[in-house]
Amino acid sequence: MAKGESPLKQFEIQSIVDINFLGFDISFTNSALWMTITTAFILIFFTVPFLKAKKTNSLSDLYPTRMQVAAELGFNFINSLLADTVGKEGKKYFPLVFTLFMFILFGNLFGMIPYSFTFTSHIIVTLALAMGVFIFVTVLGFVKHGVKFFSFFVIPGLPVYMLPLLIPIEIISYLSRPISLSVRLFANMLAGHTLLKVFAGFVSALGFFGILPLVFIIALTGLEILIAFLQAYVFAILTCLYINDALHLH
Amino acid sequence: MPQLEQVEFFISQLFWLGVFFVILFTVLTYITLPKIRAFLNQRDNFVKSHISRQDELIKKAESIIENYEGKLTEAKNQASQIINDAKDKALKESEDLIKATEEKIQLEIKQTEERVSKEKDNAISELNDQLKDSATNFLSKITNIEKSNINL
Repeated sequence: MAKGESPLKQFEIQSIVDINFLGFDISFTNSALWMTITTAFILIFFTVPFLKAKKTNSLSDLYPTRMQVAAELGFNFINSLLADTVGKEGKKYFPLVFTLFMFILFGNLFGMIPYSFTFTSHIIVTLALAMGVFIFVTVLGFVKHGVKFFSFFVIPGLPVYMLPLLIPIEIISYLSRPISLSVRLFANMLAGHTLLKVFAGFVSALGFFGILPLVFIIALTGLEILIAFLQAYVFAILTCLYINDALHLH
Repeated sequence: MPQLEQVEFFISQLFWLGVFFVILFTVLTYITLPKIRAFLNQRDNFVKSHISRQDELIKKAESIIENYEGKLTEAKNQASQIINDAKDKALKESEDLIKATEEKIQLEIKQTEERVSKEKDNAISELNDQLKDSATNFLSKITNIEKSNINL
């Protein structure tokens, strides 16, 4: 990073191919490029090991390849996550949770590569994902329960005179779900990458003593990779919980 | 902050997010995940079938062991039976032999005794005859009486 450059410059979107469609600017940007890379990587990572995988007919077929083990790990991780939070009914929503988790996880992880771009550090992207989840679970709730879905806002076993106070609180907390979901992911990515850039600036500014922030950056990079995973996990588990709420109300 | 300043790229970002998310979701839903699930299910079934077959084989082995042990005890019983029979038979045979031998010996003793007493009688009567003869001779010589007239 050149001196005096803002640590926020890394979040700038640059158009790679200018595209204008019906008056809308849908230019292919660096953000779109890393979405492409993420999508392609996930598809290759999970599809290719199973293309050649032959059926298990003998004991010697039981040994999977390394890539297969890695793919199975991701598959089973989301599978058990969904089974633990939603239960058997959750199997239907497995592809959605899996796609969300992997898209965010690899978006975050690829963002850790120097000079890359983290598309999950943009509020518009995370908000779109969170709104998608929010609209999906709300529609799901109405499809499953019809008008009874509104009973979700009434906490059972509460005295009647408390309801006028608590129903608005419940509704507000429900409506703020997409905001908290998107801001959590966006803010974590923003803060982490900004912090890394700020300390990277110190490395060159301090000369020989720059070794100290350098060591700190190495540790911080490890922490950021953890956060990259953790935020994808939080997004996925909250999606599971919202699906569970929509299916079972209380 | 570019996230809030570069409003002109919002539509582009949303558009490409939609495109890639839908591509990813569709391919994962209809190709990748069913493939993985089918593979894992097939493998689970294979492992399960092997486990059930293993249980079957263990049961079979246990029944074979039971059968074997039953036969072993049966054979042991038979063997001890045979040994006992043989012992009894041998004992009886030896007892019979001893008895027969004893009887034979008794018989021989008896016969010998009879023979001895007979011989003794013979000897005594012979001796008597000889004594009678010599006494007769002696008397005839002394008395000059014909031998045939002397009756002792």
